[in-house]
Amino acid sequence: MRREPTVSERISREARVVGLRGFTSPSLEAVERRRMQLWILAAVLLVALSTGAVALSLLDAPFTGSANPGILRLAIVLLSIAFCVYAIEKELHLRRLARLLVDERVLTTALSNRLHEVSLLLEAGKAMNSVLELEVVLDVILRGALELLSGTSGSVMLLDNAELVAASVRGNDRARGRRVPLGEGIAGHVALTREPLLIEGPVTSEDFPGHEPREQTVESAMCAPLMHRGEVLGVLNVNADHGREFTEYDLRALSLFAEQAAGAIANARLYETELQHVAKLLELDRLKSEFVALVSHELRTPLTSILAAAETARRPELRDELDELIEIIVRQGRRLSTMVEDLLTAARLEKDATLPAVTDVDVAALVRLAARDFEVAGRPVVVVAPDEAVARGTPDSLRRVIDNLVDNAHKYGAPPVRVVVEPRGGSVLLSVIDAGPGVPEDKREWIFERFARMEDNRDDPGLGLGLPVVRGLVLACGGAIRVEDGAGGGAAFRVWLPVSERVGAGRQAT
Amino acid sequence: MIPRHPRVLIVEDEPDTLLVLRINLDAAGFVTSLAADGATALGRIEEERPDVVLLDLMLPVVDGWSVLADLRSRPAAPRVVVCSAKGSERDFAQAEEMGAAAYVTKPFVLEDVVAALWEALIRPAPAWEPNREPGLLPGWEG
Repeated sequence: MRREPTVSERISREARVVGLRGFTSPSLEAVERRRMQLWILAAVLLVALSTGAVALSLLDAPFTGSANPGILRLAIVLLSIAFCVYAIEKELHLRRLARLLVDERVLTTALSNRLHEVSLLLEAGKAMNSVLELEVVLDVILRGALELLSGTSGSVMLLDNAELVAASVRGNDRARGRRVPLGEGIAGHVALTREPLLIEGPVTSEDFPGHEPREQTVESAMCAPLMHRGEVLGVLNVNADHGREFTEYDLRALSLFAEQAAGAIANARLYETELQHVAKLLELDRLKSEFVALVSHELRTPLTSILAAAETARRPELRDELDELIEIIVRQGRRLSTMVEDLLTAARLEKDATLPAVTDVDVAALVRLAARDFEVAGRPVVVVAPDEAVARGTPDSLRRVIDNLVDNAHKYGAPPVRVVVEPRGGSVLLSVIDAGPGVPEDKREWIFERFARMEDNRDDPGLGLGLPVVRGLVLACGGAIRVEDGAGGGAAFRVWLPVSERVGAGRQAT
Repeated sequence: MIPRHPRVLIVEDEPDTLLVLRINLDAAGFVTSLAADGATALGRIEEERPDVVLLDLMLPVVDGWSVLADLRSRPAAPRVVVCSAKGSERDFAQAEEMGAAAYVTKPFVLEDVVAALWEALIRPAPAWEPNREPGLLPGWEG
């Protein structure tokens, strides 16, 4: 395929034809000068030839003998015609050259305009990517777009749950924070169709359903979608007034700009997500350090009693106190053992939330056993249970669930503490109900979280692992747990445990 | 002049530890009285004017730091031996700055507790600073 000669190639070819050889691209002035020269030459020659012709006819007779006047005339006429053809041909080339030169000038201007825009675009791109805070990024984007397109006002709207929210606004403070549902108004239309839009003249709500008439007059407006990896992040609006009218060309520039802007917004969002993630990790790290401090303190407390009691028991003069000292050692030893058990269970459940060797367990018998132990320890429990209520679990873990819930009821609630066991079709419902102040609505999920206690009451003894361990064990058995208001106003912890062959079919607490 | 049977107030929220301390301090020749929280401790100090206070820091209602701060604002306050499971350098420094005569960490050896109490009794009474407002002391930021 033959290549179309470029404008500059055509210019140099035409220039050679008209004899402007010294130039690769002659100036328009040089071409005009050459045209003027051609016209003067043509005028002079024509005058000379006509003068010759007139002279010939006047001096007709005396020279008839020397030459044939007919031939001479013919020669003059032919010479004139030949020159005219030459002059016309040159003129045509010169005209073409002049037109090409004008074209080239226009192209150069357009190119330099484009270069200016590209450099603005590049600058704006650099500026948007040099900051990471979303708010600043949006401001840089809007400022850049208005500068690039000589707009007077504009906004960046970000998509938030099928609504566009004006996140950054310039030149029109009333629009700040405005929310537009997807598909409504100009912005909503653009976000839905994902096509940039150029609007000339006033906009009515007929053109765009849901469009709100503007307070200030806008003569020309553009709106481009902010797309990143095939996803609409929002739209970029630019408005102009005072005689400025946007063109298709401006719309293309805005679209290019919007592409870059969307990338910058996506980066800023990523950065913010990352920051939040880091903050969360730091918080978790802080809680863990505090937890370690709490654990070491809480383990030392029973250890102190045990060591001091043992040391005292060794002194012969204090033999009278021996029974009580041994009682202290046993009691505090058990307390220590419970704490260690809770710690190990919590750590194990954090790694792997399943229990080995789940089997059928008689919850009713387990509750009666636990109640007897609590009775001995001076913390009576009222038991309401059938003769037998078999559920899936392990005896150790279900016993821990009962112990921790009853212990919790005594610690944070008030007597009487009731434990109710009811078989319910696919599950066994175990309730531990106290007559204390109950658990406020907004804390019913939170109390099962690890570290929850540390954020609340730091004076309480214990590790705060009781309820997290209970929930972990119940879930590991395939059951569910939640806390409700008891009939008497206290807290009612309800545990659903699955029944044989139907592990996991227990009613799920929501 | 150190009394032959100095009066000691034991402030400790763990009943078993409280009991063992009482048995031992009785045997060591002290006259003991007990408190399980900071508010009771302050009341008994006012009433009974003990010679020395054995003070736990992590207490319900009013904690040990507050008790120390309160005592500091009183003239003729008893000397204080802190006995706590908290054992960081920061805690030691803060307790000393708040006028504690000695610091015993838990778990403790009973002999050390008795020795610290006697030592506190030998030391001169803490200087009274009347211009210190209680409640504006370190440890309050949390």
